[in-house]
Amino acid sequence: MLKDLINPTNFNVLVGKLGDVLVKALDQPLGYAINWGRIWSLWPVHLETACCSVEFGAASGPRYDVERFGIIEAFGSLRQCDLVVVQGTVTRKMAPRLRMVYDQMPDPKYVIAMGACAITGGLYIDSYNVLPGVDGIIPVDVYVPGCPPRPETLIQGTMLLQEKIKRSKIG
Amino acid sequence: MSTEFSNETLEKNSNNTGLQIVKESEEDRLMTLSVGPQHPGSGHFRFTVKVDGDYIVHCDPDPGYVHRGEEKMCEYRNFIQNIPHLERPVIHDSNNITYSYSLAVEELTNIQVPRRGQYIRAIASELNRQVYTLYWLAIYGIFLGHSTMFMWPTGDRELFIDLLEMLTGARVTHAFNIPGGVRNDMPVGFSEKCLRQISYFEKRLVEYENIFYNNPLMRQRTEGVGLLTKEDAIKLGVTGSVLRASNTPYDIRKAEPYDVYNEIDFKVQYMKSCDCFARAYVPFLDMKESCYIMRQLIDKIPQSGEVRAKLQPNPKGPAGEAYRRVESGRGALGYYIISDGTPKPYRVKISVGSFRNMLALPHLLVGAKLADMPAIYWALNYWPVEADR
Repeated sequence: MLKDLINPTNFNVLVGKLGDVLVKALDQPLGYAINWGRIWSLWPVHLETACCSVEFGAASGPRYDVERFGIIEAFGSLRQCDLVVVQGTVTRKMAPRLRMVYDQMPDPKYVIAMGACAITGGLYIDSYNVLPGVDGIIPVDVYVPGCPPRPETLIQGTMLLQEKIKRSKIG
Repeated sequence: MSTEFSNETLEKNSNNTGLQIVKESEEDRLMTLSVGPQHPGSGHFRFTVKVDGDYIVHCDPDPGYVHRGEEKMCEYRNFIQNIPHLERPVIHDSNNITYSYSLAVEELTNIQVPRRGQYIRAIASELNRQVYTLYWLAIYGIFLGHSTMFMWPTGDRELFIDLLEMLTGARVTHAFNIPGGVRNDMPVGFSEKCLRQISYFEKRLVEYENIFYNNPLMRQRTEGVGLLTKEDAIKLGVTGSVLRASNTPYDIRKAEPYDVYNEIDFKVQYMKSCDCFARAYVPFLDMKESCYIMRQLIDKIPQSGEVRAKLQPNPKGPAGEAYRRVESGRGALGYYIISDGTPKPYRVKISVGSFRNMLALPHLLVGAKLADMPAIYWALNYWPVEADR
């Protein structure tokens, strides 16, 4: 019995199965720890696309203070960021830049579409220079509706994203 | 024997050895830097600068990242439907950008605004000027590396937003000014709350001056930086606080008084030093003056009466054109509307202060140090979304 298992043809299968068992055993505690770390250090890219940036700025003020949730605003480098908050309308000139910024970020990365314009084009749906929603160019995790969303809504959207990360599997 | 290595001897030697000497050209010394749109200090705007060592020798602004075609969109909608999307370019100064639109449409359609409506408009406009200037001050503070000056104005701005929310029902996008007056009357207790807030804010302004404007670090970074003389300011066509900082007392509220501003006593605030400090200090003086104006407005408002004239469902006037402008947080903000007699405008042209102030950016940056760029750029009182329209 043992001889059959250890023979060279079955060896790869055995290692694979052992690996699966190991991942399953470690996924629960280790995955929880890694996701916990990701949740409380969501650093957004400082890319403003339109007028929702006013409410995004107000959210980091003393009344709403999103730093409680681990979000540090106006962060300089893309390589240390893991969140894109698309702050409003994306025009045809901004769209390639938004995609370029998203591509330059390291994995894992998350996207919040903030405001009606970022979701569907909103008030500017019939304008000649506006994209009908950003989900055509980058994948969106959480949609935050409003025109512009109140800072409370943005915080709720961030907490939803944290809930999503908490339940996601690593690897 | 000469030991000097002049270019001639080098060239002679190289001819002998067959080597080529590459002289350093002017273009190799210069480096081109792109600032924005993903950059903590530029907003929704990009400009490229060429630097020679520490000094900027060329600047090329590249606006248009938020161009949403507001002027074209106006042609699909009627005069009332245009209001919500016209305030989006400056959502933190939305009462002023709809103010001049309403004035132009009233001129086209011959509507008279009731007195109480005019006063409420002016109160909302002054409140919004505070909200805008505080947001601008917060941004200017954080980009000069002064974090306290981001936190304090952002916190005090929320109190003004509370007042506007009480008056209009929305935090930043009010859609409050409509052709014919304002949407609704003042709620009970608004005047008292407004006066309490003004007295609180006047005390805070003293603290702002002590911590920010009298700060030696801030003064060193802004005094004598980015000089814009009076002649250049007029030639480039800048408006608002940038023009007034260049020793030119010009304010639309005084030069072409609209609605109730000819009954109000106030001074045009200006400074003579023409540098970045003056450009940063004039909006602060405007905030002080705005508190003074608001006290008078609340004192003089008629106690009863209509706030808006009765309109037909789709207001339209005879074919014609109108141009009206107001003093917004960034300067003169004008609307030029052509009507062909239908309920929809034939052409709407928005003339904004931000775009005019942006034209001074290449003039100011050439010759300045790269480290002075944030101080010069944000002192221009520039909001890119409004400039792109």
